[in-house]
Amino acid sequence: MSLTRQLIAALRDSLGSSAPMAPAPKLTPVPAPPARVYTPSHEHSAFAAEAARHTTALVGIGHVGTRYATDVVLQFQAELAVAHAAVGAELPVEWAEAHGFVGVATQVTSHREFLLRPDLGRRLDDASAAIVRARCKQQIDVQIVVADGLSAVACMQTGKVLHDAVARACEARGLSVGTPVAARFARVWLEDEIGQITRAKVAMILLGERPGLGTGDGLSAYVVFDPKIGNTDGDRNMISNIHARGIAPEDAAQRLAAFAAAMIEQRTSGVTLDLARLGGNTRGYRAPQVRQKLVNA
Amino acid sequence: MILEPITPTVLSVRRLQNADPALIASYGGDPARHTALGLVTCDQDDAMYVALDEATKHAPIDVIFAKSFYAGAAHASGRLSGEILGVIAAADPAAIEAALEALLRCLAHDACFYDADGKRGVTVFPHVIASLGEYLSREAGLAAGEPMAYLVAPPLEATVGLDAALKAATVRAVRITPPPTETNFACAWLTGSLDACEAAAVAYAAAVVDVAAAPKYK
Repeated sequence: MSLTRQLIAALRDSLGSSAPMAPAPKLTPVPAPPARVYTPSHEHSAFAAEAARHTTALVGIGHVGTRYATDVVLQFQAELAVAHAAVGAELPVEWAEAHGFVGVATQVTSHREFLLRPDLGRRLDDASAAIVRARCKQQIDVQIVVADGLSAVACMQTGKVLHDAVARACEARGLSVGTPVAARFARVWLEDEIGQITRAKVAMILLGERPGLGTGDGLSAYVVFDPKIGNTDGDRNMISNIHARGIAPEDAAQRLAAFAAAMIEQRTSGVTLDLARLGGNTRGYRAPQVRQKLVNA
Repeated sequence: MILEPITPTVLSVRRLQNADPALIASYGGDPARHTALGLVTCDQDDAMYVALDEATKHAPIDVIFAKSFYAGAAHASGRLSGEILGVIAAADPAAIEAALEALLRCLAHDACFYDADGKRGVTVFPHVIASLGEYLSREAGLAAGEPMAYLVAPPLEATVGLDAALKAATVRAVRITPPPTETNFACAWLTGSLDACEAAAVAYAAAVVDVAAAPKYK
């Protein structure tokens, strides 16, 4: 019985009414509106279907009524979760030394600060600069830096493999490779400072890239000639999507070594580097990426 | 038999799953946020206002339109018009369904006028809302969750009743609407602690019953 009905029933009693208050009527259900069931409508456009075979982007996914199909939505949410997890992961401090790298840190003090302050992730802290000065080989051709970037997951999965492949590929071309360095909370431009300290001709940073949908494990590589603080993105050449479903680490290593050799030969990098003189194996055909099914709906 | 509940009669319930934006805008909604509407008419306007407020507690809906009709249900424009049209709006038809269910339950089991003279010649609406929803709290300028006594009676009965209610407990008048209103009743919204609101509502109902029993020369 509702609050007001209880109050009024008590008032009735006190006013001398002996009969109980009439009960509230039974609730008659309101008939629900006729249910409208929408059947999934698959993509009809041949163009969209063809485009979907060449990308993991959400094209040619059909619709149900005016909405996405459930499996599409669940897959999207699962892929977004993978990306969130990758951005949220941290590279353990001991990872570098455990895998044979010289471990260095940037001026960032926490993961949150790392995400909010890209400028701090581009500079070594004083202790790390001293470590690089003391422990790393100087005046080499190629200084390779492995870093967490925006996906520590990717760094931990393929960072070591890619580093070793790149180092082998560079040495095969007769380039001297510096002491392997692994940086924590690092941004791309950190390669400038490390390369400047080791006086390398070419600096290369291999770091976890900002995750896309379903790819939390992608690495990017940025290569720069004459590394020095103050270089811009226009001075760099890069390869992205280095992961199992994208560019295989072995292929990427060949291309990166070709970049390094061409930079030393042409004495420049970035937009002024003549890619036409790079040779044939740097731009091979890559099969379209296939979307991984994360959810069974 | 005095103070017998007079259950409101729900006269029509319809939905518009995807209403025209011009219609939504002209009824006070926001076409950017609202697509689905629920429409209800009923023969007791004040019970409907309370039920609309109750519905806002059960689903993410907005009460975009609720107006009493002139001269009340006895002089309605049609057999489905009643005394009020309430319009609720939401982005999702499922929210409208949940809100309608709560609204109709409130009309059937909670909010209603009471017979103050045993002949339905004088009726009183001494309703206590323990926890205000989004709609009436906005109308009253109170915070959602506060208690409120929603008191309605015919003109003179309401005047005597309101005086008794204000003196019965530590309550504050949020809004007093003297007669005539659309339906020619008089209305008052009081707030205070829940106990105070209850005491005020009981004193209001008792005063209306008293006037109905002895209308002259007391």
